[in-house]
Amino acid sequence: MSVLASSSASAPAPTRLRSGGGMVRLRREGAIAPVSAFIVFLLVYVIINPELLTRFQLQTAANLVVPLALVALGQLIVVLVGGIDISIGAIMSLCNVVFATQLEAVPPPVAILLSLGVGLGCGLFNGLLVAYGGLPAIAVTLASAFIFGSLASEVLDRPGGGLTKEIYLATSGELVPFLPVSLVYLAIVAVLLWLLLQRTALGRHIYGVGSNMESVRAAGLNARLTKLIAFGLAGMVTSVGAMMLAASTVTGDPRSGDAYLLSSIAAVALAGAAFTGGRGSIIGTVLAACTLGLIGNLLFFAGINSYWQYVISALIIFTVVGLPVIWSKIAFAVKGARA
Amino acid sequence: MTVSAAPPNNPSVETPQGKLRGRASIKQAASLVPRSVWPLLAFLVLFAVGGVIRPNLITVESLIGTATFAIILAIASFGQTIAVIQAGIDLSVPNTIGFSALSFLGLVGPLGPAGAFVGALATGAVIGFFNGIVVSKLGLTPIVTTIAMNGLLFGVILLVFNFSELTAIPEFIVAITSAKVSFLGLEMAAVLPLGLALMVVLQLLLSFTGWGRSLFVVGSAAEAARLGGLPVDRIRVGGYVLSGVLAAFAGIVIVGYYQQASATMGAGYLLSSVAAVVVGGASIFGGRGSVVGTVGGALVLAQVSTLVTVLNLGANIQQLIYGVIILVVISLYGRQGRG
Amino acid sequence: MTDAQLGTAGPAQIPFQPEGERPARPEALLVATNLVKSYGPVHAVQGVSFQCNKGEVLALVGENGAGKSTVAKMLAGAVAPTSGSIAVNGEPLISGSVKKSRQSGVRCAFQELALVADWTVAENLSLPDGAPHHRFSQKKSVAAAAELLGTLDLPHIDPRATVGSLSLADRQLVEIARALAGGPELLILDEASSALTPPGVAWLFQRIRELTAEGGSVIYVSHRLGEIAEIADRGAVLRDGKVAGEFVRGGWTDDELVSLMAGREAARFFPDPPPRITDDVALSVSNLKSDGVHGIGLSIGAGEILGVGGLQGHGQAELLRALFGAAPATADSWTIAGRTISGTTPVRSVRYGVGYVPEDRKKEGLALEMSVGENLLVPWFKAYQLGGRPLLSRERGWISGILDALSVRTRGPKEAAGSLSGGNQQKLVFGRWMDRSRTVILLHDPTRGIDVRAKQELYAAIVDLAKQGVGVLWFSTEVEELVHVCHRVVVLYQGAVIDELEGERLTGDAVVGAAMGLRAAA
Repeated sequence: MSVLASSSASAPAPTRLRSGGGMVRLRREGAIAPVSAFIVFLLVYVIINPELLTRFQLQTAANLVVPLALVALGQLIVVLVGGIDISIGAIMSLCNVVFATQLEAVPPPVAILLSLGVGLGCGLFNGLLVAYGGLPAIAVTLASAFIFGSLASEVLDRPGGGLTKEIYLATSGELVPFLPVSLVYLAIVAVLLWLLLQRTALGRHIYGVGSNMESVRAAGLNARLTKLIAFGLAGMVTSVGAMMLAASTVTGDPRSGDAYLLSSIAAVALAGAAFTGGRGSIIGTVLAACTLGLIGNLLFFAGINSYWQYVISALIIFTVVGLPVIWSKIAFAVKGARA
Repeated sequence: MTVSAAPPNNPSVETPQGKLRGRASIKQAASLVPRSVWPLLAFLVLFAVGGVIRPNLITVESLIGTATFAIILAIASFGQTIAVIQAGIDLSVPNTIGFSALSFLGLVGPLGPAGAFVGALATGAVIGFFNGIVVSKLGLTPIVTTIAMNGLLFGVILLVFNFSELTAIPEFIVAITSAKVSFLGLEMAAVLPLGLALMVVLQLLLSFTGWGRSLFVVGSAAEAARLGGLPVDRIRVGGYVLSGVLAAFAGIVIVGYYQQASATMGAGYLLSSVAAVVVGGASIFGGRGSVVGTVGGALVLAQVSTLVTVLNLGANIQQLIYGVIILVVISLYGRQGRG
Repeated sequence: MTDAQLGTAGPAQIPFQPEGERPARPEALLVATNLVKSYGPVHAVQGVSFQCNKGEVLALVGENGAGKSTVAKMLAGAVAPTSGSIAVNGEPLISGSVKKSRQSGVRCAFQELALVADWTVAENLSLPDGAPHHRFSQKKSVAAAAELLGTLDLPHIDPRATVGSLSLADRQLVEIARALAGGPELLILDEASSALTPPGVAWLFQRIRELTAEGGSVIYVSHRLGEIAEIADRGAVLRDGKVAGEFVRGGWTDDELVSLMAGREAARFFPDPPPRITDDVALSVSNLKSDGVHGIGLSIGAGEILGVGGLQGHGQAELLRALFGAAPATADSWTIAGRTISGTTPVRSVRYGVGYVPEDRKKEGLALEMSVGENLLVPWFKAYQLGGRPLLSRERGWISGILDALSVRTRGPKEAAGSLSGGNQQKLVFGRWMDRSRTVILLHDPTRGIDVRAKQELYAAIVDLAKQGVGVLWFSTEVEELVHVCHRVVVLYQGAVIDELEGERLTGDAVVGAAMGLRAAA
């Protein structure tokens, strides 16, 4: 039909993106910068500290970053539907102590299920208030941060719990030499999440709800239910992170999640996700979490005061997130309005 | 809602949506009360409840004790109030408090108390300026920017300060905070009248100056402000500078009142400053809020804390109640935020 | 006029149809009874009843704000009616669920596009119809989308492109394609042709004819009389949320319909533009370039009303934003009141004497939580001076002057701007520039979606401004406004001025023709 074709030829879409290629999807989801940042970081790391590639250090590094990566994935799911989870640290603490204390009472698989259930419950609590109550996510999760935090202290008021060396070995040891088992768990969760987000309709709905809730509703989809599911899912992923942390530190701690609130948001920001929702990548988030989690480690081996890690993390975030903005401003100034 | 920042007896407030006739008159009557009065009323109710449970709680001393505790939280939350009004939450409040407090102590030696005071406030201004520039010029989300800033400051705190040397608290700062003064014939810590005076000054600034009103326009509808010809970026930066200065001031006050400083002294104010602002009736989306309301919100939280202590319920229950209060407050008027 | 009951049309009222194509007695597919929709104090739809028969195209016409879109959304399930009922094939339609409506065979292409910009075309086409837990394959959905686009004669749209990267016209085609997918029993097209080019409209009509030939029905919501004459079998005219009248194919003239749409008692009256007194130039710009604006030159005289016409998405909004400095722009030369500038920002524009009434009054125009008075004063806040109530009382005279001059219906300057009706909100955005010694004021379709009375009051205010010597640049989507109230009209096509119409040549047909990209032979 030539007449129509002409109408499109007159307004060609030069930025037509194909979703087929992985690179394109990465770019669309804002993950190019964090992935490149991680590659650079890893190179620097291996140059400064070739010892990373020893069995012991690989294992240490993996145990350090896996909980953060998992919690960041939980945060990412909430961010994808246009929310933010201030209570994620508290959910983590709660799941952590539930897991730790239940290990004393019930067999490990039951404890794992209980912890997952608690994470799911926390997420659904937030999700119900946000999706069906119409309340702002940031305010709801601020409130639930207090609530979940207090529950965590109720369950276990000081570090402890029934974690054992067996649990440690099962989650934080090595599967085969040079392959830390925690990385395997992270990979399983990440791949499952990726399949869910990219290969099921629900996953695409999650992206759509964050991109434009009204459009999704107008298309006849259940946007609220999608949001609720996303919050619940985020709670479960967070719970996995909490259990990995409990296992690798061999202790349950009611304050263990506190540090992860800000760092999970930082990792999601570094991953290039849009805090308005609808954009963000799993691989980007995992690698961003690895970068942020390993900076302290790197500085230690480079013989630099490891307190610098806080400063460097902040600078990396400002740079990676801010560079594209500066770049586009410069590009506009150079090119002018010749678009 | 209009001018929630207006002082009491503002008669102009009206809900935007017409409700059913029967409820209209009640709504109308309720809406005649400015929003900042509600938290104060809630505080009085809680105070009365405390009296019912323990009649010996209804004393002026008890009131002053709670109010003193509240005013410190309120001072720490004033900066947060300014940030929230302009639709930019400030999660760098905790380490701004710590950094400025430690800077103050560090500068007392070389500059003397007054010089150190000014110097510490200046550090807050610089921090706020940087936050503002990144948010308004680079377009980073306020949450991400201030989280990164918070992390950066933590690193700087650990790197720069030698904590063992920073123990001497100058007399001058004790005199304006923890020293007992007689005010209106009552004995109280100096920080109480100081905080109330600051509240009045800030409320006047917000309600009755062009800059203050511009801040509300920017928070309520940034694009409308820009297209109305307001210098949005400058107003934003100004808001963050003020927020930083106020957090710095809070740091000095906290040092003076508790007579100790540490790297993590501000950590407790991350969520509680936002909580006080939200309970004080501000909209987390910006455009609505008042420092009077924040003082009211802090009073409510402080009274809960007093009751919990008196009834010996434990800190966990206190956190739980905080969470529930926030949920109640946001479900009362959180939804009207965006039309 | 009481609510006219439609749909009882006997066979005598269906002329112009070839015999045999239509059952002798029309069979009702959809019956809407006494639909009411209120948003708080605003009654968008007040008791609308009509019927759509199988195999026919029913037009819903009316001016902006007459309630057409609200009716369409109620039928589609996007909006739940306050009261009233809708039945499809005799079964009551469960209201307020797009999904249920779709399952009943009712599908809608929405005016505000209901596509997710970050999804690909294929995702937008296929996702709404799958269960959420089902496996989703990019490859399969792309193949299905390519097939659908192929059968619908839209091969030029790439199913793998994200919708956000498409042109507005293509997005509208995708929206229509999604509604057509699965062969709906009832297709609702809500201003679906607003961004389409003439070939696009022809494509749409072809699809409509195919659908009705198979027994499907179409409700065609529009205010473009030409299209309605071509495609509609019957129609209902909405005015102020009520059915003002009905018509059948061939049984009406443009004038009759326009007077029905406008209402006899409130017959549209366009004031003439005031006579020009000076030849001073208020604003001139040449080779203005910005995103979506490709080298526009124009000059506005003091006291002149210069209209801007064109189809949606051809650079009108971008032109206004560029001139105000809201979007970065460059120009070879640029003067405001004789002062040469190299570029501008909103802050500087206000200082230079430019005022701007933006497109979306709720998001770009007003701080809805703040008071009427403060919203009027927004451009005039001075950081180091008084604000709030002291400023309101100092400016009391000016504020009440503006509120009176524009007849803003409000309980006073302290009422929240958000509680005003749309028309009154628009007056606030406009009023803030009055009596403030402006050189030029840029209007982005200020009369869109407001009632007739508010329109008249705005026309009068615009003409008054011109009388005072203010240059007015007025982008309007209503051709009538351009033709009657403007001295001169520039028509934009693909980001450039395609034609400039004045005097004799300034007719509705000329404006529409130029907007379609056809330059009238001079």
